[in-house]
Amino acid sequence: MKKAIEIKGITKEYKDFTLGEVHAEIPCGFATALIGANGAGKTTLIDILCGVTGKTSGEAEYFGSMTDIDDDSLRNRIGYCSSANFFPMDWTLKTIANSMELGFDNFDRARFAELCKRFKLGDPAAKKQKKLMKLSDGNKMRTYLAAVLARDTELLVLDEPASSLDPLARDLLCDMFREYLSERDGERSVLFSTHNIADMEFATDHAIFMAHGQVIEQGFVEDLKQKYILVHGDGMIADKAKPLMLSFTGNKTSFEGIALAENAEMLRTYDTAIETPTLQQLSVGILRKAEENAEK
Amino acid sequence: MKIYQNSSEPIYKQIAAQIREQILTGKLKAGEALPSIRGLAQDLKISVITTMKAYEELSAEGLVTASKGRGYYVNAQDERMLKEQHMRQLEKNLTDAIYSARIAGVGLDEVQQTLETLWNMEE
Repeated sequence: MKKAIEIKGITKEYKDFTLGEVHAEIPCGFATALIGANGAGKTTLIDILCGVTGKTSGEAEYFGSMTDIDDDSLRNRIGYCSSANFFPMDWTLKTIANSMELGFDNFDRARFAELCKRFKLGDPAAKKQKKLMKLSDGNKMRTYLAAVLARDTELLVLDEPASSLDPLARDLLCDMFREYLSERDGERSVLFSTHNIADMEFATDHAIFMAHGQVIEQGFVEDLKQKYILVHGDGMIADKAKPLMLSFTGNKTSFEGIALAENAEMLRTYDTAIETPTLQQLSVGILRKAEENAEK
Repeated sequence: MKIYQNSSEPIYKQIAAQIREQILTGKLKAGEALPSIRGLAQDLKISVITTMKAYEELSAEGLVTASKGRGYYVNAQDERMLKEQHMRQLEKNLTDAIYSARIAGVGLDEVQQTLETLWNMEE
């Protein structure tokens, strides 16, 4: 399968935190979610992949051949948007349009105006303009998204795009992802980070789970849903079921957690309820298991 | 197309079932293209990988063929295969019926009688 990015052993050493080694793949033609708790290393990894932060070692290969993120011809193909203040706070839609046009060959001013309208941000050509600092967090994020989507790119890399958006805007964001992928069937990819996957479930094809600076699981969502099962049971049988489960929480009434699908038959003999997990349930299970391991 | 997002039936199976029915009933004809994987995902507001899995399932059943870089096309359906598909559906429905019978404590004799009555009513 074609890859948008192949991450080969990237590390980053900080005084109090180490990222990696990270080995991961961002498949071409799909939306990949980077899932993890706060402080798991998602932003650090994204910043390294987009050339905002340096790495200590390792390499990333983009679009099958390119490795130098400082190369303009590579940067032109990637639309990056951070969750922090992405533009100076005294900028307006108009100044953003002007500077994006100067900075990138593939910025489409008309498309930017159209996206601003769709996101209900106003008109970048209007005389009266609002400064970014006057906007709500949600509208700031909408502005950044309009700016990045107005460029004709092949890969979107977005750090926590959904966290400041209201439910309607999240739904629109998911639509934008699918539209972006569909416009050039199979040629475009999306990578986004999130610590709350529930709203993005139906726009996620591939998932990379991170905890404590490490990738702990990755794969296509449909494959992961076959690999793991969601298990519920009565508290009475918890002691029997627990050794077969990867994550486990419970009390004397009931328990729940995830297990490998290969243990389904055994768990069924203990009269447990077994279901296909949602991506949200899977994330909770996988991340909880990582926490349990870290405590040991 | 109608999708239940919170059903216990996986979404890819729901999609595959509806396209399968359209092919078996002749609504989708041999040589016709299925919607693009990402276009269908966009229309149904679901992930790309889900529609892809649905198409892969139909492809494994021999109902459609992937044409490299150009999407999926409906295969010519030969009668033998059509019958096999219908048999599979029949077996599935009968399995459901057996399951209901077991829960109700109804024996094979009674199930056969019910089947016969229903069969004659349909005719």
